Amino acid sequence: MAMSTQILAASVLSGVNIVFLSALAAVWVRNYRTFRTSLVLGLLAFAVVMLVENAFALYFFFTMQSLYSGDPHVQQAVLVLRGLQLVAVAFLTYVTVR
Amino acid sequence: MEKALWYLLTATRGGENRVRIIRTLSERPRNANRLADELDVGYKTIRHHLDVLESHGVIEAGGDKYGRLYFLTDHFEQYRDTFEEIATHLD
Repeated sequence: MAMSTQILAASVLSGVNIVFLSALAAVWVRNYRTFRTSLVLGLLAFAVVMLVENAFALYFFFTMQSLYSGDPHVQQAVLVLRGLQLVAVAFLTYVTVR
Repeated sequence: MEKALWYLLTATRGGENRVRIIRTLSERPRNANRLADELDVGYKTIRHHLDVLESHGVIEAGGDKYGRLYFLTDHFEQYRDTFEEIATHLD
């Protein structure tokens, strides 16, 4: 079954999330080496869990399309959730790398 | 300010250079050019960090427009202990 446009778009957003989260994780790994503070370690754990979450999302989008294909509302909801997470991660990336 | 300092200095990409700038300004005020020379960091990078530190109330500028000297604020000095705790991690 072909992937719906909305689930395809959600997959792309998850991919961009992974790029941002990788950039954040890279900064925090480097800073943890320098500072060894629990704040940075906590942020690093946050980034890693979010990376795993996005990887699972991608996995679900590609392997469990029957889960989404029946209902366009579900697809729309999935897309909105991915989009909002992208906005959140983009803000955090902006204030962290600037 | 305490939480902002922690994030600004330990969790951001430019955190290490910001700590070095504050350390250098703790000895005595300096202008952006001197900071760039002494820390061996590009002038534009120093300028950027100075703007970020100034907007967070950590430093303030005095003197004429060209070669303005940067000072640590009294407000920052209240959180000196927090800074020293962060800075010890850098050694």
